Amino acid sequence: MSDLLDTNETPAKELGPRPGLAPGQTVWELLAAVSPRIKDNPNTYEAQQLNRVSLDQCVKCTICETMCPVAKVTPLFSGPKFVGPQAERFRNGESVDHTLDYCSSCGICTLNCPQDVKIAEINSMARAVMKKDHMPLRDRLITQTELEGRLLTPFAPVANWALKQKPIRVAVEKVVGVHRDAPMPVAQSQSIKGWLKHRKGPAPRRPGQPDRGPVVFFTGCAGTYFEVETSKKTIEVLEHLGFEVLVPKQGCCGLAEQSNGLFDSARKRVVKLCEQLNAAGKELTVISSSGSCAGMIKHEAHEIMGVDDPAVRSVGTRMRETSEFLLDLFDEGELPTDFKSLEMKIPYHAPCQVKSQGMGMPAIRLMELVPGIRVIESEENCCGIAGTYGLKKEKYDVAQAVGRNLFEKVKEHNEGLAVCDTETCRWQIRNSTGVSTVHPVHVIHAAYGLSDVFSPEV
Amino acid sequence: MRDVMVIGAGLSGLVAAIRLRQAGLSVALVHKGRGGLQLGQGTVDVLGYRPQRVARPLDELDEFLADQHRASDIPHPYAHTGADAIREGVRYLAELVGEDYLVGDAEVNVALPTAVGALRPTAYYPPSMADGVISLDPAKPGALTAGSAVVVVGIREFKDFTPELIAGNLALNDLPGGGRLEARADWVSFPARDGEVDSTGLNIARALDDPARRGALVDQLKALVRPGETIALPAVLGHEDPAAFADLRAQVGSPMFEIPVPPPGVPGMRLNDRLTRIAKEARVEVFLGSNVLGADSAGGVLQAGVVGTTGHDTHLKARAFLLAAGGFESGTLELDSYQKVSETILGLPLAIPAGELIHDTWAGQQPLFSVGVATNDDMVVVDPATNKPVYSNLYAAGGVLAGAQRWDEKSGEGIAVASAVRAADAIISNLAGGQR
Repeated sequence: MSDLLDTNETPAKELGPRPGLAPGQTVWELLAAVSPRIKDNPNTYEAQQLNRVSLDQCVKCTICETMCPVAKVTPLFSGPKFVGPQAERFRNGESVDHTLDYCSSCGICTLNCPQDVKIAEINSMARAVMKKDHMPLRDRLITQTELEGRLLTPFAPVANWALKQKPIRVAVEKVVGVHRDAPMPVAQSQSIKGWLKHRKGPAPRRPGQPDRGPVVFFTGCAGTYFEVETSKKTIEVLEHLGFEVLVPKQGCCGLAEQSNGLFDSARKRVVKLCEQLNAAGKELTVISSSGSCAGMIKHEAHEIMGVDDPAVRSVGTRMRETSEFLLDLFDEGELPTDFKSLEMKIPYHAPCQVKSQGMGMPAIRLMELVPGIRVIESEENCCGIAGTYGLKKEKYDVAQAVGRNLFEKVKEHNEGLAVCDTETCRWQIRNSTGVSTVHPVHVIHAAYGLSDVFSPEV
Repeated sequence: MRDVMVIGAGLSGLVAAIRLRQAGLSVALVHKGRGGLQLGQGTVDVLGYRPQRVARPLDELDEFLADQHRASDIPHPYAHTGADAIREGVRYLAELVGEDYLVGDAEVNVALPTAVGALRPTAYYPPSMADGVISLDPAKPGALTAGSAVVVVGIREFKDFTPELIAGNLALNDLPGGGRLEARADWVSFPARDGEVDSTGLNIARALDDPARRGALVDQLKALVRPGETIALPAVLGHEDPAAFADLRAQVGSPMFEIPVPPPGVPGMRLNDRLTRIAKEARVEVFLGSNVLGADSAGGVLQAGVVGTTGHDTHLKARAFLLAAGGFESGTLELDSYQKVSETILGLPLAIPAGELIHDTWAGQQPLFSVGVATNDDMVVVDPATNKPVYSNLYAAGGVLAGAQRWDEKSGEGIAVASAVRAADAIISNLAGGQR
């Protein structure tokens, strides 16, 4: 007892700097110096603290558990609350529940949380720690989306042939760990850069349309090399509406690396990309038809990887989804709606990373401005692919089970076309349903009479 | 510009949004997460206690409100809505979701067995609870009466439902009309997924959505039920398939009912999913996962809600606004460490009872819970100091309203639907007036 009192009565003057803390050194830096676990932690201290703060808001209501598309179909994942807000308290930097590896990072948990707990963010950060020392080679390879595009484009016919050969896919599965039936992009002979270089100037404006000034278009890796039609059609619709579309040299946003826990390299990529997009104009609206890449720049770079960079912040605040941008124009009375009628039912799936942008589902309202179109929303949380998740041999079956209801709904309701805003989700839906699946801008392009709605999907 | 922006997707937000949309208005429904309806029991409480148990809520409303008026200077939400809006709200909800989801009568309460074996009064309930109804109206006997035999059946793999506790307590209750139930406990085994020893209620419900899985449960129930007995099970009998319960009951061939369990509560989820689907199909524009950060106003009129879209704010313009974001449970109301209560979305003035807000009487009413926004009879938010509208086009409904002790009174859903239809109808008639 007296010992305790003595301690409490230690005079203030004897309280110097804490032992071991060098002048100007933060507690975090000190801990990193003495603890390899913290030193090797791929998360930034700030991001970790920010997301941990939200833990205290968890009231254990289980809404995230009920919404999780992965926990719904497999017992291999114990669910977002159990691996997240519950396990986080015991984590001290390391995950205590390794089923976390089965989280697909779709973010549906955070989206549905009524208490603002950053469940998906906490879990993504914990996974980066968990995988730190045994990152599969496969996860390093499949995250190199830009490289893949650059390598495949010159050999598109050969690459597309090879990717359809079962023996080759089996070998790839055995050596690399990419499932033999997983959806693969279709390589194109011409990237969007090649198309821009060779086309004869911008598409004509609509008759009588005054100039609306410049906007920047962010193509995304998939939109550059694989889903080239989406990029072309976005550019042409914007030009039709009177915008000058600037497409600066641009790299990858790092999303695939982020979702696989490769934070250091993902941070560098997203910063570099935003500097490139900024180079086209620091005040201009940046438009993207790559739903998930836009999400990465708008919030995941910041909220998961702790990127606090002026270029990323600036681009993030100016970036708009194509449907969001066009619908904003409509709400301001600036979108011509002399669409030609397209009598069709269109199944539509809003990808997780578009849902998580807090803007509702602008694609539905936008497409239904076209006379004759009735959109059937999938009402499913996720298609299963979650970027690179559904490609992995050990997760392929889970991803297919996640998407099953969606696939059935698409098959049941389509009249030759399904719509989804994100590239990898489209590959998944196409691969699992056999239905042509396109970005919403494809429909708008056709409704303005610029193409047939059944023009090539990629 | 939209006609109406509704903030919050609980029961009041969903019901109001659908009613506004059905009247032809364009509606944006903005909410930061899934609403609280999913966490509820899937029943509709109108007025359960005042403080004695209420048998006929609408008949007893005037007396209840008179007592409220004597006890507090803050009017109860029912004083604004009146009995007609309660009647209309409950009728509207029941008709929207249909008889597969809700049955009952707003005029007469029933008592339903709970997960601790108590009897809880409510007005509407899912048809899967009908065989467990104990009438509070002597003229209309319910499914269970004095001497009825109930077997409460637990599922080994489901930890939130203890049949011995429930059966033991249930047999101790004196029924409203006199007499008691006979109750015993029994167990079955039903792992939701192969090898699971600890299944969530939702996973069991999902397993039972598959007709091929039902047989295993049916066989065990048939083996244990005695002639004349009613089976009570946890409320996990199917999630997405509204016919799952009826099929199980028919296959077993005995009366059977569900008892609500702690979240994830399947009956609340069924109701929430149903209403959300109706809203979306009617093209209520739903913004999920979007915090409302504030609003733009000019000259006492709200012009736009500031929605925290990722990366930037969206100023969502509308002609009328409905705050239906719930109370303390959702974070719309907040108490800070200085005992100051605030409304966190729009910074509205609040009606706060005089005196101490929290006292240490266990299980007693806490004055804090009656804090909320004040309204007039059109559910337009008013400053309680002046009784003047804060904004001429801002309405409120549901848990954010001042003056109720929802948990004690068992009035939450009744207030939600009555205020929702009242506010929606006022908005519809005001906007129509504005158009002329």
